[in-house]
Amino acid sequence: MIASDHEQDHKPQTFNDHVMKTSSFSVNYWLDYIVRLFYIGKHSVRIFVIPLLSIMVGLLAWQGLTQTHADIILDFSNIPSPLHVYKSFLNVVVTKTYWKDIYWSLYRIALAFTIGSLVGVTVGVALGYSAILRLIIAPYIEIMRPIPAIAWVPMSILMWPTTEQSIVFITFLGAVFPIVLNTWDGVKRVPIELVKAARSLGANRISVLFHVVIPYAIPNITVGMALGMGAAWFALLAGEMISGRYGIGYFTWESYELIQYGNIIVGMLTIGILSSITSGAIYLIKRKIVPWSE
Amino acid sequence: MEDIGHIEIQHVCLGYKSGLDTRTVIKDLSLTLGAGSFTSLIGSSGCGKSTLLNAIGGHYKPLSGSILLDGVEIKTPSADLGIVFQQHTLFPWKTVKENVRFGPMRRGAGRVVSDKLADEYIELVGLSGYENYYPKMLSGGMQHRAEIARALANKPAVLLMDEPFGALDAQMRVSLQDSLLSIWQNTHVTIVFVTHDVDEAIRLSQRVVIISQRSGSISSIIETNKTHNESIERSAERTHELKSRCLTLLSA
Repeated sequence: MIASDHEQDHKPQTFNDHVMKTSSFSVNYWLDYIVRLFYIGKHSVRIFVIPLLSIMVGLLAWQGLTQTHADIILDFSNIPSPLHVYKSFLNVVVTKTYWKDIYWSLYRIALAFTIGSLVGVTVGVALGYSAILRLIIAPYIEIMRPIPAIAWVPMSILMWPTTEQSIVFITFLGAVFPIVLNTWDGVKRVPIELVKAARSLGANRISVLFHVVIPYAIPNITVGMALGMGAAWFALLAGEMISGRYGIGYFTWESYELIQYGNIIVGMLTIGILSSITSGAIYLIKRKIVPWSE
Repeated sequence: MEDIGHIEIQHVCLGYKSGLDTRTVIKDLSLTLGAGSFTSLIGSSGCGKSTLLNAIGGHYKPLSGSILLDGVEIKTPSADLGIVFQQHTLFPWKTVKENVRFGPMRRGAGRVVSDKLADEYIELVGLSGYENYYPKMLSGGMQHRAEIARALANKPAVLLMDEPFGALDAQMRVSLQDSLLSIWQNTHVTIVFVTHDVDEAIRLSQRVVIISQRSGSISSIIETNKTHNESIERSAERTHELKSRCLTLLSA
C-alpha cells in the first residue's frame, strides 16, 4: 500500500523515501515468492504452513542469538537456547515434582475460582437486582476493585493462618472482581419488557430472578468468568512466587534461584498452556449451557 | 367462563412523576369493558393508549382513580391479565414449549398438565412441530404466535395486546388477525387491543375507543356491532363508513 501510494505521488522524493519504497517492494516480492511456493491451490495448506514457518524462523533466530551470546539491548548470554529448553523439558517432565507443582497450581485455581464464582455471581446479582443491597455493597466494591490482587500479598499473609490459605485468598481476589462486575452489568441490562412479561405470567420476584434475570446475565457471567480465570492465574503466580512451597509459579521462580535457566522457560510455557486450557474450558462450558445465544 | 374478565376503569389519571413535576397522559378516563368483549384502543402516538394498557395489566399505578377486574382493584401484574407486547418478549433461553408452559408452571400446575396445556395452545396458534425450537430460530410472525400461545396457555381472564402485529408484513398480519379472532370466538377471553391502524381496529373489535391526545381522554366510542359468531368479513360499505368515521374523529 505504502509503495503504491508513493508511486502515484508526483512530489519530488527524498532519498529515504526512495530506499523505503524499493526495500518494501523487494521484501514483498520475496514474501510473495515464498508464499507461492507453498500455495497449492488450497487455503488450508497456507493456513498451516505460514504460521509454522513463522514459528520456525523465530526459533532459529532465538537459537542464533543465544549461540552467539548476542548482547543488543537484551542480553542473550544467559538465556537458554530452544534446544536447551527442549532438553530441560525432557528432563523435568519425568520428575514427580513437576507434576506435583502442576497439581498444586490447578488445585488452588479450582478452589479459588469456584469460591470466586459463587461469591462473584451472588454479589453481582445482589448489586444488580436490589437497590438496598446495591447501596450497602457497592462502596466496598468501588474501594477494593482498583487494588490489584498482588497488593494483598502482605495483608493476606498476616490475615490467614497458613501460607496455603493466603495464596488461595489472593487467587480468589483475582477471580472475584471481574465476575462481580460482569454479572452486575449483565443483570442491569435485563430488558424491562422481559421482566414485565414474566410478571404478567404470574411470576413472583424470586421466579423472575431465576427464570429471567440470571439466564439473561449468563453470557455476561461467562465473560466475567473467563476474565476472572486470567486474573486468577496472574494472582496465583504472584502468590506462589512470593510465598509458595509448591506450584508452577514456585517451580519457575525456584528454577531461577537454582540457576536452572532452561526450567524457567519450561515453567513459563506450562503456565501459558494451563491458563489457556482453563480459559478455553470456560468458553466450552458456555457453549454447552447457552445454546440459545449461538 | 363468560362472566369473568369484566374490567371497570373508574376516573383514572395516568402519568409520570419526575421529582415534583407530574406529566399527566390520561386524564379522568372511565370505561367499562364487558366480560368476553373485544375492544380496540386507537389514537395518535403519544396519546397514552399503551400506558393505559399497561395500567390495566398492573404495570403502572394510576395517579388517581382505580381499575377493577371483576370487582377487585388491580394493583400488581397477575396471571389473570395476560399481555402480548409490541416487542418480542419470548425468553430466548427457553424453547417454544418451555416458554408456553412457563405461566402454568408458575401457577403450580404440574409438569404433565403444563406440557399438555402448552401442546394444546401451540397447536391452536399453528406452531405444532416447532415446540423444541428456540425463539431465535423462528420468524417474526411465528414468534408472535408463540407469544400469543404463551399468554393464552395461562388461561387469563383478559388478554391485553399492545400493537402486537405492528412490525409484520400485510400477509402475516391478516393471517394472525384471523387466528386471533378464532381464538377469541373459542375462548371468550376479554381482549383489549391497542393499535394505530384503523382498518385493523374495525376488522377485529366490537368497539373502537378513540383516545384524544389533546384531552388525554376518550374522544368517542364507535360500536361495530360485531358478535362472537359473526363471520369475519363485513360488507365493504359498512367497513368504509366505520373507517371514515374513525378517521374524522381521529383528526378532530
